[in-house]
Amino acid sequence: MSMAISLNEVRKSFGPTEIIRGVNLNIEKGERHAIIGPNGAGKSTLFHLVSGRYTLSGGSVSLNGEEISNLPPYEIYRKGLSRSFQVTNIFPLMSVFENVRCGIMWSKDYKYSFWHLVDRERSLNERTQEVLAEIGLTDRQHVPAGVLTYAEQRALEIGIASAGGADVIMLDEPTAGMSHSETDQAIALIRKITEGKTLVMVEHDMGVVFDLADRISVLVYGEIIATDTPENIRNNKAVQEAYLGAEAEHA
Amino acid sequence: MSNISNAQSSTPQSSKFKVFRPWIFLAVLFIVLPFIFSSGISVYTMNLMGIFIIFALSYNMLLGQGGMLSFGHAVYFGLGGFMSVHFMNYIEDEVFILPMFLVPIFGGIIGLVFAVIIGSFSTRRAGTVFAMISLGIGELVAASSLIFVAFFGGEEGVSGDRTMGPNILGVDYATDLQVYYLIAAWAFVTIALMYMFSRTPMGRMANAVRDNEERAEFIGYSQRKVRFISFCASGFFAGIAGGLFAINFEIVTEENLNALTSGVVLLMVYIGGVGFFIGPIIGAIFFTLLQTLLSHYTEIWQLYVGIMFVLTVMYAPQGLTGILAMHLPVIRMKRVPQLIMPYIRLGVPVIIFLIGAIGLLETVHHVRSAPVDQTMMTLMGLEYDTHGVLPWVVMVICTLGGGYVAKSQAGQLREAWEEAHAPVSSNGGSAK
Repeated sequence: MSMAISLNEVRKSFGPTEIIRGVNLNIEKGERHAIIGPNGAGKSTLFHLVSGRYTLSGGSVSLNGEEISNLPPYEIYRKGLSRSFQVTNIFPLMSVFENVRCGIMWSKDYKYSFWHLVDRERSLNERTQEVLAEIGLTDRQHVPAGVLTYAEQRALEIGIASAGGADVIMLDEPTAGMSHSETDQAIALIRKITEGKTLVMVEHDMGVVFDLADRISVLVYGEIIATDTPENIRNNKAVQEAYLGAEAEHA
Repeated sequence: MSNISNAQSSTPQSSKFKVFRPWIFLAVLFIVLPFIFSSGISVYTMNLMGIFIIFALSYNMLLGQGGMLSFGHAVYFGLGGFMSVHFMNYIEDEVFILPMFLVPIFGGIIGLVFAVIIGSFSTRRAGTVFAMISLGIGELVAASSLIFVAFFGGEEGVSGDRTMGPNILGVDYATDLQVYYLIAAWAFVTIALMYMFSRTPMGRMANAVRDNEERAEFIGYSQRKVRFISFCASGFFAGIAGGLFAINFEIVTEENLNALTSGVVLLMVYIGGVGFFIGPIIGAIFFTLLQTLLSHYTEIWQLYVGIMFVLTVMYAPQGLTGILAMHLPVIRMKRVPQLIMPYIRLGVPVIIFLIGAIGLLETVHHVRSAPVDQTMMTLMGLEYDTHGVLPWVVMVICTLGGGYVAKSQAGQLREAWEEAHAPVSSNGGSAK
């Protein structure tokens, strides 16, 4: 079985409220998978459960066939799953260069080393420059990350997540709050960095979703009501009612 | 955070000399300083500075580099000092033979051992939890130091003799000057090591955890382990500083590990600037100068230090180094002349204000503390009667007038300042 991520009866409650109510989901290796759903459906919560930020109330999660339920985030990262955040989550006082470099260090096996001088590690710095070029922030590398523009911070966010070369990348609303042209750039960037990797993303922008995803899962009130190709999801009655219909009413 | 040399990695080869230049400068400076400042009091002051520089830098590994606010850092300094003074006594009793200059290592080791023990539970969380635990541990160790008399020597502390042990090249540390070079050598090595630590993967991650502990976990690092390792390194260097203190003063008492000393190091580092590697160095130098020089002139020097600390926290959170660093772009753009006049216009009323305010503080202090019949006092070369009306009137006018004019001049300085900084290029300002 070549599943990158598989969720089995995953549950999460905060107090008496059950947010995630038994999610089963299998994401294949190399797939670009999008999770959509109305606000408050629990998409971000599901992300937090997979990436180790929250502990599970029930069920199990495995990564590449290996059980990762309730491991701390850094253990999950070391097994090859990296993620970005919906609300920008970077190292604001450090330079853009340092932000990216920190995202690479573990994958280059430096661990908690205090016997390497980072400025002398050529392959580490070269890889950092590569990532900076990829995310288009080469010119801004010496600026503190906290003063970047919003779109730049989003790009950096994705850069940090992808820098370490994890083979499963989870992006939480990578294009939230972006303009049209910025969104197009972001899509191109996401395509580039997830080449040959597994991508799981939460996204509100249907354009992005139908553009990027190989398969889509629809999450409504903590349950997945459908997982299918974009074409079939578009034509799915239940999805239209629960999600797209509701969206149309709002509009 | 690298402000000694912001040489970035992009050109690692061509800037090799540039990287070493500050260190060569520092070494030469350490060697020639006692020739420039050769009096007994200066050497004494410089010895103290060296010790505090190491101590303050070790503290900034926690506060500035790692985002851990500790109220009990003197524990590692003091324990290092006690351990070292015991080793000095072992050397004197010929329990074993060891040159005196190696003693601080044992101070460092005991600092490290206690940092490992205490850090194993206190670094679980940063923020308030860490601060409270550090405060508690600080009180605990300070209290036990009066209970375990065998190790801590009770209230009179433990004293030793640094002139014992094998002489190497005839150096027996009988004079302060010899101790100066011992401290300078240790300071040079530990400053270099602490700087290098900040440039390792571990040191970089300490900054990352300080900035955003949650994200650090999602790039493979356990925030707790990162804090723990920083904490241990910090304890080690604080212990070395304690060891040097023991050699310099030949006595270590409870005072060296209590909350007062922990507070002093926090003050030094904060006034110097937590955001810069050299901040604590500047803070330690500045504080030691205040402590040794100002205390000659006034009994209430600690009040001034306290006021300065509050002002730093309120108006210059980047500390003295931050204020200096703010001027770097102006100097680079050769626009200093533009700022001279505005500074004078603000500076003169500020000085008048300070004269008035200091006069008031000193006079009030004199009235409160001098014998009842002694109403004459001397301040800034002027002798006057504290019970006369005129001095008070002058001082109040100076304070209010100076303060008012200074306030009215602040606007023009701000304008001049913005003008001097005006065309900041889009990627201006290097990362902290």
